[in-house]
Amino acid sequence: MSILAWKNLLHDRVRLIVTLTGIVFALVLIAIQFGMFLGFLDTAANIVENNSADLWISAPGIPHVNGGSPIQESKRWKALQVPGVTHTANFAVFFVNWKLPNGAFETCQIAGFDLDSGMGGPWNLVAGRIEDLRGEDTVIIDDLYKTKLGVHNIGETLEINGKRARIVGFTHGIRSFTTAPYVFTSFKNAQNYIPMREHETIFILLRTARGANLPAIRTRLLATIPGIEVFTHDEILLRTRNYWVFGTGAGTTTLMGAMLGLLVGIVVVAQTIYAATIDHLKEFGTLKAMGATNGQIYQVIILQSALAAVMGYVLGISVALAIVGSTANTDLLIKLPWPVALGIFGLTLFMCMSASLLSIRKATTIDPAMVFRG
Amino acid sequence: MQPLISVSQLVKEYGSGANRFRALNDVALDIHAGQVLVLMGPSGSGKTTLISILGGILSATSGSVRIDGREIVGMPESQRPALRRDLFGFIFQGFNLFPALTAEENVGIMCKLKRVPQPARAAAKLLESVGLADKRNAHPADLSGGQKQRVAIARALAGQPRILLADEPTAALDSVSGRNVLEILSGLARQNNRAVIIVTHDPRVLEFSDRIVTIEDGRISSDELRRHIPPTPGDIA
Ligand SMILES: Nc1ncnc2c1ncn2[C@@H]1O[C@H](COP(=O)(O)OP(=O)(O)OP(=O)(O)O)[C@@H](O)[C@H]1O
Ligand SMILES: [Mg+2]
Repeated sequence: MSILAWKNLLHDRVRLIVTLTGIVFALVLIAIQFGMFLGFLDTAANIVENNSADLWISAPGIPHVNGGSPIQESKRWKALQVPGVTHTANFAVFFVNWKLPNGAFETCQIAGFDLDSGMGGPWNLVAGRIEDLRGEDTVIIDDLYKTKLGVHNIGETLEINGKRARIVGFTHGIRSFTTAPYVFTSFKNAQNYIPMREHETIFILLRTARGANLPAIRTRLLATIPGIEVFTHDEILLRTRNYWVFGTGAGTTTLMGAMLGLLVGIVVVAQTIYAATIDHLKEFGTLKAMGATNGQIYQVIILQSALAAVMGYVLGISVALAIVGSTANTDLLIKLPWPVALGIFGLTLFMCMSASLLSIRKATTIDPAMVFRG
Repeated sequence: MQPLISVSQLVKEYGSGANRFRALNDVALDIHAGQVLVLMGPSGSGKTTLISILGGILSATSGSVRIDGREIVGMPESQRPALRRDLFGFIFQGFNLFPALTAEENVGIMCKLKRVPQPARAAAKLLESVGLADKRNAHPADLSGGQKQRVAIARALAGQPRILLADEPTAALDSVSGRNVLEILSGLARQNNRAVIIVTHDPRVLEFSDRIVTIEDGRISSDELRRHIPPTPGDIA
C-alpha cells in the first residue's frame, strides 16, 4: 500500500509543490522566529552570563543589568568583611554616546571592569590584548559593530561622551540586545566616560569561597550594608533576560511568529492533503471494495503526509540553515542548534499528521458501494 | 451440490420513511462455480444493487445470501473487508485503476492486499495471462480502454478469488476490445472453476454466457440456462 502513498504524492506534481511550499514556508518561519527567540535569550543577558562573579551588589530595585545607578564604592570594604567573601571588584555598565567619524552619535554601553579580577571582562577576543586596557583611554569593541561604530583597526581613536578613546582590541560575537554595542574598558577608564562621581561604582562584584552559603552571605550583606540589593548570578541573569526578552515583547512576538508558522503550516498542509484525499476518493473506494480495511486506507493517507513532511523538512531546514548562516556575521543572532532542528522535525511530522486528520475522517465515510456507481 | 452463492428472499430497500424505495424484492438465485452468469435488465431494475450485495459491499435489508456456505446478510461491517478480500474479484465499467501506478503496480498492490506470496512476480504473471506482459510499465493513461480493462481483470484475479463480479465491463469499450474482454472473463470461469457474474446491457455477451438472469423492477423475471454445466467437485465448499 505504501507504493500508492508515494506514487500518488509524486503524481500530483502541482499539489506536491503547493504542499511542500506550505511546509517549507511554515518551517522556515518557525525555525527563524524560534531561532531569533533563542538568540534573544542569548544576547539579552550575555554580559551577565559571561561574568564569573558569584554575587552582585547594586543599587536597590534596578530593572536589569543595563539599568544600574551609582552606589558608593566604599561598600566594597564592608562586603569584604563578610565571612565567605574572598574578592570584590567594581563593575560598571552604562549607556554613553559614541561619536562617529562623520560627527553623528551612536549610543553604546560602557562595560568597565576590574582588570585584576577579570570579572566582567570581554570574551572571544580575536585581536589585541585585554592587558592593553591598562593603558589610558583604551577600549575593546566587537568586530560585528565595526561599521556601525565607524572604526576598523586597532589604534584608531574616537570620542566617547566627549573623552578620547583608542581601540586596542576586538572581540567576535558579543552582540547587544539593546542595539547599543558594548564597549569594554577598565573600570578606571570607565570612570572617565560615565557621569559618576569619584568613589562611585554601578556594581560591586563578589567572589566567594568554594562551597560558601550564598543565601547566608546575602543576608549578612543586606544586614550590614544599607541601601543595596544583592543578586546571585542566576538572579540578575534572569531579571535581565526577562526584562529584555519578555518585558519588551520581543520574545513574545517571535514566539507568536513561530506559532503562526505552525498554524499556517497546519492549515496549508491540511488543505492540500484534504484536497488530495478528495481527488483520490474513488481510488480509496476501490481499495475498500476490494477488501482494504479503513486502517489500511488511513495508512496510505498518513504515509502521504509523513512523506510530504520528510521532503518538506529537508527543504525547509536547508533554507533555514542558509538564512541562519547568512546572519552569522551580523548583529542579529539566530540560533538553530541541532536539538532544535530535531524538535522542528518532530513538529513538522506533528503538523502534517494533524493536517491529515481531516482527510482520515473523510476516508472513514467512503462507501465502498460507490465503486459501482458511475 | 452446494451452490457457491445461494440467495433467497432477498430484499433491499433504499432510504427510509416516505422516501423508502424497494430496489430488490424477494430475489432467489443459486449460482454454481464454473458458470458465467449474465445479469440483464432495464436501467434501474436493480442489477448493480444485486451484485453489490453479493460482493459484500452493500448490506441487504432482509433475506439470506450465503457465500460458500457463509451467511453474509447481517454480517458486521468489520468482517466485510476480509470477506471481499478473500472471495471476490471486482471489475468495473470505469476500470478504476490507480492512475499513478503502472499496470504491474496496479496488479501488484492488490496482490499485496490479498497477501499473495511474491506479489511482484504474481503481478507479472497475471498481466501475462491477460496478454499484457509488454505493457507492465505503462501507466493507465497510456493504455487503450481494452487494455485498461484487461489490467483491471488481472488485478481482480489477484489471489485467485472464487467469484468475479463485473458491472458493465464492456460498456466503455469498442466492439473488438469488448469481445476480447468477454472472452477472457468467460475463459476464467471455465478454466479455474470460478463463478463469473457479469452485469451488462451488451447483447454480445450472450454468446459467452452459460446462464442469463433477467431482472425487472427488483424481481427476477427470467432465468435461462444456455448450456448444461455439469457440477464440479470444486463447487463444494
Ligand atoms: N444509494 C441509493 N439510494 C437510493 N436509491 C438508490 C440508490 N442506489 C440505487 N438506487 C435506486 O435503486 C434502483 C436500482 O438501482 P441499480 O443501480 O441497482 O439499477 P441498475 O439495474 O444497476 O441500473 P443501470 O442499468 O442504470 O445501472 C434504481 O431505481 C435506483 O434509483
Ligand atoms: Mg447499474
